[in-house]
Amino acid sequence: MGKKLSKQERLDLHQKSYEMRTNILKMMRYGEGHIGGAFSSLDIITVLYNKILSHDPKKPKWEDRDRFILSAGHKCLALYVTLADQGYFDTEVLWTYNTLNTRVPMHPDEKVLPGVEFPTGSLGHGLPVAGGMALAAKLDKRGHHIFVLLGDGECAEGSVWEAVMAASHHKLDNVTAIVDRNGLQVNGRTAEIMDTSPFEEKFASFGWEVETIDGHDFDSIYHALSRVPFSEKKPSVIIADTVKCKGLDFAEGQFEFHHWHCEPKNIGKAISSVEEKKKEEGARIG
Amino acid sequence: MDSEKKIYDNPRKVIAEALVDLAKRDDRVVYVSCDSSLGASGGPFNKNFPQRHFEFGIQEQNAMGEAAGLAVSGKIPFIAAYVPFAAFRCFEQIRDDVCKTRLNVNIMGNNCGFSVGPLGPTHVIIEDVGVIGSVPNITIISPADGPQYREAIFKAAELDGPVYLRVHRQEARRIHGDGYSLKIGRADRVLEGDELTIIATSTMVANSIDAALMLKAKGISAEVINMSTLKPLDRDLVLESSSKTKKVVTVEEHSVVNGLGSAVANILATSGPALLKKIGIEDNFAVVGEYDELIDYYGLTAEKIFDKIQDFLHREEDDENSNRL
Repeated sequence: MGKKLSKQERLDLHQKSYEMRTNILKMMRYGEGHIGGAFSSLDIITVLYNKILSHDPKKPKWEDRDRFILSAGHKCLALYVTLADQGYFDTEVLWTYNTLNTRVPMHPDEKVLPGVEFPTGSLGHGLPVAGGMALAAKLDKRGHHIFVLLGDGECAEGSVWEAVMAASHHKLDNVTAIVDRNGLQVNGRTAEIMDTSPFEEKFASFGWEVETIDGHDFDSIYHALSRVPFSEKKPSVIIADTVKCKGLDFAEGQFEFHHWHCEPKNIGKAISSVEEKKKEEGARIG
Repeated sequence: MDSEKKIYDNPRKVIAEALVDLAKRDDRVVYVSCDSSLGASGGPFNKNFPQRHFEFGIQEQNAMGEAAGLAVSGKIPFIAAYVPFAAFRCFEQIRDDVCKTRLNVNIMGNNCGFSVGPLGPTHVIIEDVGVIGSVPNITIISPADGPQYREAIFKAAELDGPVYLRVHRQEARRIHGDGYSLKIGRADRVLEGDELTIIATSTMVANSIDAALMLKAKGISAEVINMSTLKPLDRDLVLESSSKTKKVVTVEEHSVVNGLGSAVANILATSGPALLKKIGIEDNFAVVGEYDELIDYYGLTAEKIFDKIQDFLHREEDDENSNRL
């Protein structure tokens, strides 16, 4: 079961995800941002919006659309560039990042930006809201699916586990959580600050169907996301092993890049680094 | 008022019936509970609409987020829990997920004030109006009697935004007649007078009416306003009445910090020509006791309200005399 990507599709996704990384760096000309988590989750978000979600940028409130909630709201740079690329709003909006009254601040706001399903920022809020959306969908006998992306550091929040327990209790097989397990948070290694592992056993013991993937391998991401729900009457979780700041050579795997205050003079260097990485990886996966 | 004619309603029963009636008319209405619904207002709802009742057990943070998720999907959730858990435990979910988004989530804070006195200060909350009232977009309704509780349910559902409804455990004496219509943001003048304005909410409306009748026997004409919406406050009626009487007393079974009294003070300080006395609970955690004991201990019986008002009026007379010297 599950679908497979063609070679061309894989290359297209690769191309797209690096194009998105470059756009994020261009946004960072306008200020600081949570680049680490945006880059670690970007490949997953790229697959979701290009291959998985049933959605229509021209009708962002279409009732039967799949929902995507970025529970780790600080990773919103990845969401912004993707929504703009999908056509939810004009790309020019991206270049207002962090300016007065911007529609693209450091946490997403559904009131001002089409495509943002729910405002997030404070951690541990996304999965409870997804549960409510899923219950409403079941009540209305609608078939859409609700995807939620969480950070591994975020999973130290108790409200996450309340929602994990409830989704299983209410048999919400229309919910899929994706944990962006990059292993780092603001102050260092998640394992040292508050060890949220083992995810697989925790989710499984709470009644979820679990699958672990390489969160930068497009085939694995697509294979997992295209098969949800993994089991009837059970919520699904994909634990995605990722690299913080993936794609920016000098920053990969460093917690200091959870949040980056990039000096404008360094943007060019960062874009060159991403371009280099794109070529390197493109040759490998091609 | 003749004691034989007094009618009392159980707020929880009134709400339970109203929710069922509302849900019959509107299939968007759903009930979210946190292991406290059967003893409160959820039993009949569950019996009539089991598919529309979602139980979350003892996890109010999640339940509030779930309510937001239901509301953003077009449902009209009523979520019930004891005040500390409905208002405080999940405060950030209320602020971020319900109020910032301005969703039609209706939060029922059960057992407000001294409702459950023997349970002690973890369960006796006298700060909820101040805490919830500090958040933009939310409406706070604090009904005084059965007809108001019933109306509050229908009007909360109609209002396209979040509502915090304070639900008391005490039987509520009927103040308003049949056919009463509650207008959110509009207070009701339940007794007319021209020498003093008493503004009260919830349980304290009945006690204030009784105190006003005692004042009347002493020849003092007091007006009583039932302030059932605490946010937004009926500024017009506060100013209209206080301009006439020049003296205002607020009465609440809540802290005098950031409650009804403070809200009225904010209006009078900037726009009103009246003196104000706030009657309520001083800034402290309440002592433990049965409801009647606590009401007496904190000076919120009709007799004690009457005494405090008399002191206030006499003190003012003394001040006026001293100014003349």
